[in-house]
Amino acid sequence: MPMNEPGTVAITGLGTFLGQRLAERLLEDRAHPRIVALGPRRPLRLEGRIHFQDVDFTEPTADSRLAEILADQGVEVVVHTAFRHSPTPDLDFDHELETIGTLHVMNACAAAKVGRLVVASSTMLYGPRPDNPNFLSEDHPLRGHPEAHNVQNRVEAERLLAEWIPRHPDTEVCVLRHCWVMGPTYDDHVVRYFERPVVPMLLGYDPLLQFVHEEDLVHAFEQATLASHPGVFNIVGSGVLPLSTLLALAGKRALQLPSPLLYRLAYYPNQSQTGDPPAGFYDYLRYLWVAAGERGWAEFGEPVYSTQEAWISFVSSRRMRRYR
Amino acid sequence: MGDEIAPEGANVVPFPDVGSEIEPDLDELRAALEGLRREIRARFQPAAVERGEIDWMELFEELRRRVSTLGMVERSGVVDEFGMDEVVMRRGQRLLDFLFDTYWRVDCHGLDRLEGSGPRLLVANRSGVLPYDGLMVAHAIERHHASGARPRFLVADWLITLPFVQPYLARLGGVRACRENADRLLQSGHWVLAFPEGEKGAAKVFRERYRVMRLGRGGVVRTALENRVPLVPVGVVGPEEAHPILFKWTTPARMVGLPFLPVTPTFPWLGPLGLLPLPTKWWICFGDPIPTDELGPEAAEDELLVSRLTEELRGRIESLLHTGLDLRPSVWS
Repeated sequence: MPMNEPGTVAITGLGTFLGQRLAERLLEDRAHPRIVALGPRRPLRLEGRIHFQDVDFTEPTADSRLAEILADQGVEVVVHTAFRHSPTPDLDFDHELETIGTLHVMNACAAAKVGRLVVASSTMLYGPRPDNPNFLSEDHPLRGHPEAHNVQNRVEAERLLAEWIPRHPDTEVCVLRHCWVMGPTYDDHVVRYFERPVVPMLLGYDPLLQFVHEEDLVHAFEQATLASHPGVFNIVGSGVLPLSTLLALAGKRALQLPSPLLYRLAYYPNQSQTGDPPAGFYDYLRYLWVAAGERGWAEFGEPVYSTQEAWISFVSSRRMRRYR
Repeated sequence: MGDEIAPEGANVVPFPDVGSEIEPDLDELRAALEGLRREIRARFQPAAVERGEIDWMELFEELRRRVSTLGMVERSGVVDEFGMDEVVMRRGQRLLDFLFDTYWRVDCHGLDRLEGSGPRLLVANRSGVLPYDGLMVAHAIERHHASGARPRFLVADWLITLPFVQPYLARLGGVRACRENADRLLQSGHWVLAFPEGEKGAAKVFRERYRVMRLGRGGVVRTALENRVPLVPVGVVGPEEAHPILFKWTTPARMVGLPFLPVTPTFPWLGPLGLLPLPTKWWICFGDPIPTDELGPEAAEDELLVSRLTEELRGRIESLLHTGLDLRPSVWS
């Protein structure tokens, strides 16, 4: 039952960049919908403006508790953004939150007959492969990366969602797969990698990369929350740039290492920080995984920032930070 | 109050009368002034002073462009969606011209058959490991065709993912050979140059030269039918002798991820010097386009039609190769 201008919106993962910024953006409008925050922690920054409900998605009975809340509050749209931005070494918890948490949210939506479900996803799920076409469409299979546990968990979550959708025709589902995000305030492991003054990269590889600006990302989620956009969409900035050009634009130096050496040198730091061997991250700087954005642009409007502009916005904000 | 400015005041010091002494110094003064002017002109940009005015807006725009791409001498800050870099292309132009005019002395036959605009799919014979043939055919069309469009050439998977090769090929206009990429290029109005023989063509040994192998599994024909673009057969004579492969050595090549290691009279004996192709004489022959628009996109489902068209295409390329070989009195001239 697609409806417009929902009265009540539930957002999971208010602690993440995406959840918080989406709530703030929705609240900017005078006639904003009632916002219910679902999560384990009270979002103190938005205290008094949203209705907080304490739910832990990793608990075994989270689905029935969620269904109760959704029915109680009369929620019409659920936005699921409770995903980790960066991989962590806590592999079990990661699986519980990303895959099982999504399962709980889906089942609760079905039980409470929620009209619309918006799920955050990533174009990283397509996986970096030497045999990828230059532009991956939304219909391309999600192959992930075998050594990136965070990506694999989300691939599984999307697989569960794809099975769930035809069984629940009453709920329309919008999946937004976004590429790496750049902007003045966004922060994750990719941003921290690019923040280094000397950036390690693979000798002999110079893949094309694409970014989306944080404002364009939040805009797409806002559109998907407020109006009916069923389907899967890639949310990416326009244009692509090779990694070496990005570094030259930022005035950073590249440390070019042969892949066997880099994968051995970076093994311990990577394993302890992300729980994955280096290939889980550096393969994304080795092979192509650029996604085609046309379908998303037609649905949510052209992005304001191109890949280059998103990158420049990130670089200039960090440059300013040095002078504070 | 008015004392100071009173002209008739007796206490005003009279201006010394030096008029008679100035006359002889005037030329000297003029010469000194001229020297000063010359010095100023030399210090500033001569063109700007000559014109008498500086185009401030243009100067500002230029500076703004420079600042946004600081430290980017050998590349531009914007690439097209498949990674082709205008600055790299411009800088590579001289080398490509040298290869085209002096090194291989490329001649073209049947350029008039390329009349008209609109996207099309060019299909050529493949030879040699490095894609010189793709670069040269693209260069020939860009130079001689009225539209001035540069066709994008498709490169086999194993070549475009090879370290060191991939960054350069992408910047020079190479695109990974797959259906999705070809569709996207054709739909955005590009000319596409495909080498459907693939690895089998690149691995041709010297005694099999100018024998066109099986053209894949009909993917080129299917792509042309689906996008309703004409197929243009192209025969490239010359590159098959530029790297005469005596035999293929597979075992050591597998270790570094190559399908085979070509053993030529110069490679690997002379090391990297052996990678230099021989300066053979090249002829690029373009054939009559095979129109596909009246067949309609559903013809791509007709397997027999696709294989018949593929075989016809193969025959046409082979006859174009014979035309080229007849045009050429010897391998070197």
